[in-house]
Amino acid sequence: MREHLARNLRDGRFQALAGAAFLVVLALVLPAVPLTRTGVSVLAVVDITGSMNVRDYASADGKPASRLDTARGALRDLVTALPCGSQVALGLFTERRPFLLFTPIEVCADFAPLDGALAALDWRMAWEGDSRISAGLFRAAEMAASLDTDLLFVTDGQEAPPLPSTGGPRFEGKPGAVRGLIVGAGAYALSPIPRYNDRGREIGFYGSGDVQQENRFGPPPADAESREGYNPRNAPFGGVAATGNEHLSSVREPYLKTLAGETGLAYVHLEGPGGLAAPLRAAATPRPLPGRLDLRPVLGGAALALALAAFLFPMVRALPSGRARALTLKKA
Amino acid sequence: MGGATPMEALSRFAVDTPLVLWLLPLALLPFRASAQRVVPVAALDAGPADPLSRAIGWALRIAGSLALAGLIVGIAGPYRRGETVTRTGIGAQVSILVDRSGSMNETFAGRQPSGAEESKAAASRRLLGDFVGSRAHDQFAVTAFSTAPMLVVPMTDRHEAVRAAIRAIDRPGLDYTNVARGLAMSLSQFGAQGGTVSRALLIVSDGAAVIDPRVQGTLRAEFAKIRPNLYWLFLRTKGSPSIADKPAGEDTPQAAPERHLDLFFKSLGTPYRAFEAEGPEAVAAAIRQIEALERDPIPYTEQRPRRDLSWVAFGVALLGLLVLVAGKLAEADVRRGRRGIPQAAEAPSERIAA
Repeated sequence: MREHLARNLRDGRFQALAGAAFLVVLALVLPAVPLTRTGVSVLAVVDITGSMNVRDYASADGKPASRLDTARGALRDLVTALPCGSQVALGLFTERRPFLLFTPIEVCADFAPLDGALAALDWRMAWEGDSRISAGLFRAAEMAASLDTDLLFVTDGQEAPPLPSTGGPRFEGKPGAVRGLIVGAGAYALSPIPRYNDRGREIGFYGSGDVQQENRFGPPPADAESREGYNPRNAPFGGVAATGNEHLSSVREPYLKTLAGETGLAYVHLEGPGGLAAPLRAAATPRPLPGRLDLRPVLGGAALALALAAFLFPMVRALPSGRARALTLKKA
Repeated sequence: MGGATPMEALSRFAVDTPLVLWLLPLALLPFRASAQRVVPVAALDAGPADPLSRAIGWALRIAGSLALAGLIVGIAGPYRRGETVTRTGIGAQVSILVDRSGSMNETFAGRQPSGAEESKAAASRRLLGDFVGSRAHDQFAVTAFSTAPMLVVPMTDRHEAVRAAIRAIDRPGLDYTNVARGLAMSLSQFGAQGGTVSRALLIVSDGAAVIDPRVQGTLRAEFAKIRPNLYWLFLRTKGSPSIADKPAGEDTPQAAPERHLDLFFKSLGTPYRAFEAEGPEAVAAAIRQIEALERDPIPYTEQRPRRDLSWVAFGVALLGLLVLVAGKLAEADVRRGRRGIPQAAEAPSERIAA
């Protein structure tokens, strides 16, 4: 008896099956292993000024889509792509300041209201027409710091009115204190900006005379003296009306990159309604989130491999021997 | 649940990684191969028919099949889907319309808050935050307005998200008070469905504005359609005119916007109450009253979590494996050992299983 038992215990297939049974017991009793995953906590500030209505993206069905539509799609995609436990706050930007709609909301449990709020983003929420990007960005960074989040600032970078020749305001915070991403929305080629009446209906596009082409506050630029009709007292900016392309819009990437460098944020161009999760996770502060690793599929997989080995082993071994027997038969 | 057809009941089962289920044909392997030792016997027909051996052989095959199938299903991660159950509780749909104009950041005395003083926005943030979530089945929507209306959070029963929106209302406000468009948007938050639900529109503002006569008609029609209970929480700054005050001069909407907004609300024909609060205590009292008034049945959805079923699959696999292990332990070799006869009697299975 003992002899047989000892032989049975030495049998590889017995050991494989017993090992498989042991692993299944482990799978049934072991709790999930706690581990930390990295999530993000981010304040998304969306530019809702007029130039964001420019339709220079294509939607999935090939129709033109506005920058705001595309940014909205990208943010909704981002919320689904972030791991559970990540948090998103939402703000609007127009004029020269961000306006906080809500403090951070968790992206899984409270997904429905968060997604609904993102879907409702509209240029009609704007309270004023100016678009002083740098001022808005700097204040958005302060706001993100006060909420203890990172910043995601979506804009096309078009300042309205244009910056004076002396440049915009300086960033007074500490560069890199708030981490995050500036997202440049818009195509690289110039496109016309749609114009709306006071009832919100579209009535054509802005013409070159409808917008301020040059900022004539403050001291005149250095080249003013060479301009036609220049007079130091009566015409310090030259004698003719300013011309330019301020009524057309494209993404002002060099300007946004300068701002990104100044504030210590990363820059990424918005390519379509998605793809923000990877650059954001690269740029944002990693925040530890409690997660759980379920070991059962791993243990079950190992048990399955052992059990299959126990069944397949004789078949595999039978193959060459069977051939050998066939050969001997032939010889005979 | 009780009335669910078998198909519906079946459709509630699902797995995490369905691709793994393609391995399931492997569970037929035990009918083709055996884990038992192969014992050459000169002629099986020489032995008598043995029903017990046959039964043990089939038991081992079935156990092997169950073990493999259980493991494969277990790895795929089976679960029963969570479900949404609609029940009836006590509560209301509340659409909150918050004034975010700059003056909300001043105190009730009309000053910039200093020290322990609380601005109107901070007081309403604190008190509304307590209101949201004090009853489990209320649904809330938040709309903000200054010059333009802003949809902050759509109608939801996720109170944490609503509180996140309420927490933002003492941030610096914007310019003007344009109440008409704010009203239109907060009415649209109720949505189309649900005629029996108690609906309340709560306006929190510290001032009023003239409603354009052209818009008044549209608003009237919307109010008549949705018929919400209307509450106006008027955070009055000390010294500024009350809702009831008649101006000394001409009684026009421009001269006394608060009074005329009140008159407009009264003329709507929906249940309406105005609360004039001159301090945080009065705001708290008003909110308590609204809470007491809005006590009607409301259908709410409850999310039942999904239930993990891996343990069932692994349990079946374990049973099968234990039978196989027992089969392996009971093996005996007829040819080996001198005590061949008792072994053969003891373990008749291997001849069949081989």
